[in-house]
Amino acid sequence: MRKKIVLLLGTLIIVFSYLTIVSATKAFRSTSELPATLSEMEDTIRLVLITQELDTPFWNKVGQGAKQQAKEENVELEVWGSYGNDQEEFLKKMEIAIHSKVDGIIVQGLDTEEFKELSKIKAAFYGIPVITVANDVPVEESLRKTYVGSDQFWAGKMIAHQLIKEMGTSGEVIILGDEVQAYYQQERLAGIQDVLEGYPDINIIIRGTKDTNEQVISTTQQLMNEVPRATAFIAVNAKYVGPMIQEIGRRTQVEPYHIYTFDDGVESTALLEQGKLDGILEQKPVEMGKESVKWLMEWITGKTVPLNSDGYLTETNMLVSDGDMP
Amino acid sequence: MTTIQRKIWLLVSVMLLIMGIIWMMLTYYNQQTQEQTNTILQRYLRMNEVTIASQKIITDLNNFLLDPTEMNKAKIEKSIKTIEEVQQDVAKLRNEENAFSVTNYIHLIDSLVETTNRSILFSEEQELEGSTNEFNEANRISMYISEMTLTILDRELKTYNLFYREIIDQSEELKKLGFWILLLVTSVLLLATYWFSLSITKPVHQLTKAANELARGRFNQRIKVESNDEIAFLAQTFDEMRININDLILEIQQKAQLEHELQQSKLLLKESQLRSLQSQINPHFLFNTLNTLSKKAYLDGAEETSDLLVSVAGLLRYNLKRIDRSVTLYEEVLVLNQYMEIQKARFTDRLNFKKTIDESCLHVNIPGLTLQPIIENAVIHAIEPEENGGTISFKILRDGSWIIIEIEDSGKGISQENIELLLSGQMGSNEGHSTGIGFQNVVKRLQLFYGVDNLVSIESVEGIGTKVIIQIPETREEVSDETFNRR
Repeated sequence: MRKKIVLLLGTLIIVFSYLTIVSATKAFRSTSELPATLSEMEDTIRLVLITQELDTPFWNKVGQGAKQQAKEENVELEVWGSYGNDQEEFLKKMEIAIHSKVDGIIVQGLDTEEFKELSKIKAAFYGIPVITVANDVPVEESLRKTYVGSDQFWAGKMIAHQLIKEMGTSGEVIILGDEVQAYYQQERLAGIQDVLEGYPDINIIIRGTKDTNEQVISTTQQLMNEVPRATAFIAVNAKYVGPMIQEIGRRTQVEPYHIYTFDDGVESTALLEQGKLDGILEQKPVEMGKESVKWLMEWITGKTVPLNSDGYLTETNMLVSDGDMP
Repeated sequence: MTTIQRKIWLLVSVMLLIMGIIWMMLTYYNQQTQEQTNTILQRYLRMNEVTIASQKIITDLNNFLLDPTEMNKAKIEKSIKTIEEVQQDVAKLRNEENAFSVTNYIHLIDSLVETTNRSILFSEEQELEGSTNEFNEANRISMYISEMTLTILDRELKTYNLFYREIIDQSEELKKLGFWILLLVTSVLLLATYWFSLSITKPVHQLTKAANELARGRFNQRIKVESNDEIAFLAQTFDEMRININDLILEIQQKAQLEHELQQSKLLLKESQLRSLQSQINPHFLFNTLNTLSKKAYLDGAEETSDLLVSVAGLLRYNLKRIDRSVTLYEEVLVLNQYMEIQKARFTDRLNFKKTIDESCLHVNIPGLTLQPIIENAVIHAIEPEENGGTISFKILRDGSWIIIEIEDSGKGISQENIELLLSGQMGSNEGHSTGIGFQNVVKRLQLFYGVDNLVSIESVEGIGTKVIIQIPETREEVSDETFNRR
């Protein structure tokens, strides 16, 4: 009897001790660390990268490169912007950045009056350096410090050369761009034209469209009606290549057409892998990000003043489809 | 020595201590959690203050632009002061996660203040367009501030999300912990109380058992209590009492035995005296007659008869005198010789008596009439029934401090059973004894005289003979001598 009582109580104590310890370790486990408070206003340099195309593969890479470089330079950088070419939101972000008195703005150039006013007047008023990345706006209009990205004129030329290589020296080439062409598109177009004009047998049809899918589709339809013997398509604005190919595919086979575009569109890479695109012009978004931060820092720290206003160019490549894909 | 009182104090204070520690721990922990929650709540409230303050500035600025009085200006200045204070508070909220946003936020407030000031300046200089432009911009910035507040709050929620969940989980766990601790402490307390009460009741129980044993009269068992408090002291005292009682009882027992022995020896003496009185109706008459007969025989020329009669008379005298007195061995041997002469006259050639005596042993004291009854036994059993007679040898020799007396006959012998019966006094055969003193009487008297058991032993082989051996210590203890002489 006595032993039973002691045994029973002993077992209970062991069981309860175990449960208590388990419970205690859970209850008193140190809570995850709160972010350390920064009491002093540490004047770290704050940079903002602003784009209209957040969450696209191309701009993700630019952001990635920029962040990488910012980490190396030990400055803070945030990627802001709007989704799907929302200009209003984009400009608002830009304004907030200026009012927030960041130390530098890296921006995807936008060839509009509002953008130019912001960069030329407001940013200059607050003394904030602005450099454009990937898409340029001429320095006279924007007072940007410099441009980091591909040489769009040269890129246009590369595409044109590739086209001639595959298509031959004669044919009808349709070039699709924006209705109001941004500076970078003009550059690309100029590059293409520069090459193709050397071949009298090549006929160039340039057409602008509004930037909705429906508009792109209808423009493509019109073009195919007007130029039934077209042999090649070049989308100067890479975003339009998706709906364009979709429309072509609806009417006839995509295969026989020579279709080219640039890599800053959402669907470019995927379409190339599917074999629907014959080639894309590959740029170096990561490089762009890195270089932009690097040059901006050079300016801020006063190492290189002024920056080369012609811009710092990154490499471009031609990516060609295997052609064997279905 | 830990007393029972100390034990109780210890138990209670340990329990109080444990409960106190638990209480303090839980209170401390609760306080910490509360502080954390307060800090977080304050963060949110401060950010909200910024929005409110910026909107206030816009309202005041609007009022001022519509009605540019000193009073409205003072209002704006007050609002600006407020927002600058709030701005400083917000600056404290910067941490690794939100440093960028909060810094932007602070600069936005700066921009707002600057824009507001510019607007006031333009208004005072009557430049309506400029002031309206600046007002619009200030309004936009105020909107941005509101938006940014939401963004920062949103981010804050994301950053602290895990933290909040942990706080909730932990408070849940704390409830469980309280429950488990309650159960644990209860069981520990039960066990401790059980052991504690046992440590008090067990010695009491042991003591009760010991007391019962004593009450039943068992004084030999040691009282042992395994504890170190007052009970142990009680038990020890109790044990001492038991030992004392035990000693007293032993003493009483010894005395009683002594008394008993005395009683017995007195009875034996009375018996022998009675016997001798019964058998010797008028010994003095017989003695005188024997002497007369001896003289008569001498005068008649029968010298041998005369000597024989003298021997008989001597034996008779010895018998009368020495029954209750100690004599020397020498005297005993002398009487034995007289007795043997008589027997020789009776049996002539049939009795062959040999004696070997160590003269140095004859001085020892011995109760009277010890040897004669034994020799007589030998004669009765070894000579009388035999046609051709027999031999009786008598030896006195020394063996260290012992004197050995051996009486050996050549009779039929006695069986082992009978020897034992004889020695233990269960077989009485007094018939045919001249003195009326039997074998048992001799054995008992020797025992009482020397105070030592087993002085007499019998060796016998049936058909060959019997040997009676008497051992006597050369020196006798004084006490038993006195006891013996007293009777």
